[in-house]
Amino acid sequence: MAQTTPSPAPTLTVAPPAAVALSGVGKTFELSRGRAVSALEDLDLHVAEGEFVAIVGPSGCGKSTVLRMVAGLERPSTGTVVVEGRSPRELARSHRLGVAFQEHALLPWSSIRGNVALPFHLAGRPVDAARVDELVRLVGLEGFESARPRQLSGGMRQRAAIARALVLRPDVLLLDEPFGALDAVTRRRMNRELARIWSEERITTVLVTHDVEEALFLADRVVVMTGRPGRVRHVHRVDFPRPREAAITRSPEFHEAVDLLTGLLDAEGTA
Amino acid sequence: MSAAARRAALATTGVLVLLAGAEAVGRAGIAGPSWPPLSEVAAHLLDADRRATVVRAASATLASAAEGLLAGVLVAAAAAFTGLLLPPLRPGLDRLAALLHAVPVIALAPLLITTVGREATPTVVAGLGAGFVMFVAFSSGLSLGGRRSTHDDVFDALGANRVRRLLRLQLPASVPTVLDGLTLAAPAAVLGATIGEWFGAPRGLGVLIVSAMQNFQVTLLWSAAACATALSLAAYGLTTALQRAAVRRMA
Amino acid sequence: MRRALGALAHYWPIAAVFVGWDLWVVLNGYTTVVAPRPGLVLADIAAEPGAYAGDLLRTLLTSLVGLVLGMGVGILAAIAVWSSAAVSGVVTPAALVLRSVPVTAMIPVIARVAGYGDSSILLIIVVVSFFPAFVLTVSGLAATPAAGRDLFGVLGAGRLRTLVRLQLPHAVPHVMVAFRLTAPSAVLAALLAEYLVGTGGLGHLFSTARSYMELERAWGTALLATVVSVLVFVLARGAERRVGARFS
Repeated sequence: MAQTTPSPAPTLTVAPPAAVALSGVGKTFELSRGRAVSALEDLDLHVAEGEFVAIVGPSGCGKSTVLRMVAGLERPSTGTVVVEGRSPRELARSHRLGVAFQEHALLPWSSIRGNVALPFHLAGRPVDAARVDELVRLVGLEGFESARPRQLSGGMRQRAAIARALVLRPDVLLLDEPFGALDAVTRRRMNRELARIWSEERITTVLVTHDVEEALFLADRVVVMTGRPGRVRHVHRVDFPRPREAAITRSPEFHEAVDLLTGLLDAEGTA
Repeated sequence: MSAAARRAALATTGVLVLLAGAEAVGRAGIAGPSWPPLSEVAAHLLDADRRATVVRAASATLASAAEGLLAGVLVAAAAAFTGLLLPPLRPGLDRLAALLHAVPVIALAPLLITTVGREATPTVVAGLGAGFVMFVAFSSGLSLGGRRSTHDDVFDALGANRVRRLLRLQLPASVPTVLDGLTLAAPAAVLGATIGEWFGAPRGLGVLIVSAMQNFQVTLLWSAAACATALSLAAYGLTTALQRAAVRRMA
Repeated sequence: MRRALGALAHYWPIAAVFVGWDLWVVLNGYTTVVAPRPGLVLADIAAEPGAYAGDLLRTLLTSLVGLVLGMGVGILAAIAVWSSAAVSGVVTPAALVLRSVPVTAMIPVIARVAGYGDSSILLIIVVVSFFPAFVLTVSGLAATPAAGRDLFGVLGAGRLRTLVRLQLPHAVPHVMVAFRLTAPSAVLAALLAEYLVGTGGLGHLFSTARSYMELERAWGTALLATVVSVLVFVLARGAERRVGARFS
């Protein structure tokens, strides 16, 4: 890994401090009757400012737990999680996080515009209507501003959820399988659009997915995790130039990387 | 014929068959002198003089039920919000709601007669009956004892404070459940009012029904019972319409 | 200590009811003729449990028999009308109307028609228990997923087999909801009917204790009636959860 650990002592190198830093993180979940299961152990992960990192791994390897800790939704049992130099909860409380989950979690009684504007309300700030419209346009939902979530397709709902995550220009964007519930065709289209949107906003992003192609297409680095307890097994740097087009997914390099990472995941599955 | 029209036709047929059956039993005298033909009951209710007693009683019951329902809803909302503001009280309030739900109002009615008096008892019993149901509805609507949803995660990650979470998520999300509770609470208020009246209120359908039973005034008994049923059905019908409209709007 | 705190968190309302009751009597300066203190009422139950036991058992037994009969008839009636969409379309709305008859109106009418007595009380509980079981079983039978019906059709299962193997199991959780809703109302109906026209049971004990001004006895009966209703509710809810989890 080409990352420096965040250190308050100034050094001569110009490496930027990590936007997201997990150091020695472990997480155990209490089961009934005093038994406990270790979901993560001694995990180190640093995400640079403006970097897009994807975490892939078999189901149950704790990749979603990593994301939930960065979002301040769960606390690590050991180690530290620092986001933008602060604790995740502090960052959340100052409304600097953007999140989108597999479940869109749009408010069903509110219009698309209302849903995209929600972070302004929760931050107690006046709604910037121009910014809301810009985001609605950016995710391609023009003309559907006053529709209700149930009137839209699954893909459109996820776009709305992503617009909601981006509307406040967050410091960090967290995506947990945002397209996990979509069909393969819609999913590929959403990936292309997310790549386009991301090259316009360039926000530090952590994406959790089980789809290796999705990870390689979107991320600057792909982190492969092992399961039970979860650890980092391999970090793969992705060097395709941006903005990325669908054409790169047909290149030999892309296939090679897919085979490599899939192999790592499969080895994990049979181990 | 559309499916809805067909359903309505079948439903109307069913109710007409029910009424015709009751009429036939009454005419044939199968069930004895205490089962009058329904036409006699209808005639009783259509006769302005004889109707007056029933109408007076029904409006007293309606007033008690409505006041009780309103009071019950307000108190239940206040109690549920207490649980919202004071989390340590929640497990107990939850248990309390489950218990209150099961308390037989008959156990309370006579005690109320000696304390709040004959006049107020129907209203208070109606309020208790409706309030118990509404407290359960408010608690589960605001998911006081509830599991976390992805909405909660989103609101947490976006740094929503308690007030904003309440206004933007919990309150709107609770509306269908609360109105669901109302469809149970409104008939429960009618039932509660008549139970309160049984135990010695000066007026109301409950009083009329018991005295008509004891004095063998069969058509009066059936007229009053029909009125009580109509009140209960109307309470259920109106609140159900409200609930459906809200679900259409909210979901 | 932690257990004690946990119990306190869950059960403080029960303690609160007794303390509130006592304070209310003392602060208002009520004499025993108006409202007895909880200690006196509990003492009466403890001193003469035999005075309550017979009526308590009678109420429980009547409620239980009526509940089982009413729900059984309701379920059978639902199966009978289920086979025809037209028949159930005709019958279900009528059942909904009858279900809306307040029990306070139903008891005097049934008592007048069927006579004052224990058989009337049983009949009242049967009628009260019938409608929820009927309505919910009909909706449970109708709620069978289409895929399941298609599968049974492809496998060449007959109507009866489809009913027994597929649709009835699907209806079980609905029946259990009916049970949870009906059990407390059956007890309430029993108490009310005994109060008005009964010759025994807690409702009757309550009405006689009241007319002889035995206030400790009356309040004791009310307290027992409450405990019985709450227990019945808790048991019915537990049964609903357990059976519902098994079948869904």
